[in-house]
Amino acid sequence: MESQKVDMFIMSNSKYFESHHLPQIREQLLALDDSKWGLIQTLQFQDPTTILIVSLLAGSLGIDRFMIGDTGLGVGKLLTCGGFGIWAIVDWFIIMGATKDKNITKLQQVLY
Amino acid sequence: MTRNKLYTFISVLSLLGYAWLGYQTYSEKQNSSIGQVCMFKATTTLPCPSCGSTRSVLAILQGDLSQAFYFNPLGFLLIIGLFILPLWIMRDVLLNKDSFFKFYLLFEKRVVKKPIMISLIAIILLNWGWNIYKDL
Repeated sequence: MESQKVDMFIMSNSKYFESHHLPQIREQLLALDDSKWGLIQTLQFQDPTTILIVSLLAGSLGIDRFMIGDTGLGVGKLLTCGGFGIWAIVDWFIIMGATKDKNITKLQQVLY
Repeated sequence: MTRNKLYTFISVLSLLGYAWLGYQTYSEKQNSSIGQVCMFKATTTLPCPSCGSTRSVLAILQGDLSQAFYFNPLGFLLIIGLFILPLWIMRDVLLNKDSFFKFYLLFEKRVVKKPIMISLIAIILLNWGWNIYKDL
């Protein structure tokens, strides 16, 4: 794919991924066929900041986990009242990383 | 979510659950408790959907099933999970299998189907409404 398009994608989507993943994403996109560009552009990613806000407000109900697609963990979090409050607090710190992980998994599914 | 991550996670959660139950029975005897840990209740003063489940599990352990159901019906689900999940995971780890992981993936796939999801949400909301009505 043209480097111009790839750079545009990286620029507008960099906040959805871990910074150390960006060079790898860039290389993969450059090697990608042009026909997939449309598909990649339509991908919807979860904003880590939004999820963090949800986690702060409704973390003990597991809503944050449901939103990023960890349904099983969400049910666990809901039933245990946010893992006795501890898990909910731990999630304030790791939920952004978990969201970025989910985003890159989503991108990888399209790339391969 | 990989198999080992999930298993570690569930083990830690069950351990926490047992520690919490142990602490609660201990503090009940000593008549001292750190009080509620529910952040939702602390901020909104409304009980959350799973408020009362500790009392429910303790009531089940003392054999008082109707009181347990009154506190929170989810307690039955929790105590079944607390008994089965550690044993299931231990079996998987010892025999080097991944039957629980497969079950978890299947559960995640099934639970997002619309009819199942809607009925589950309705049950949780009903239970929540009952919690607020009871003012646990």
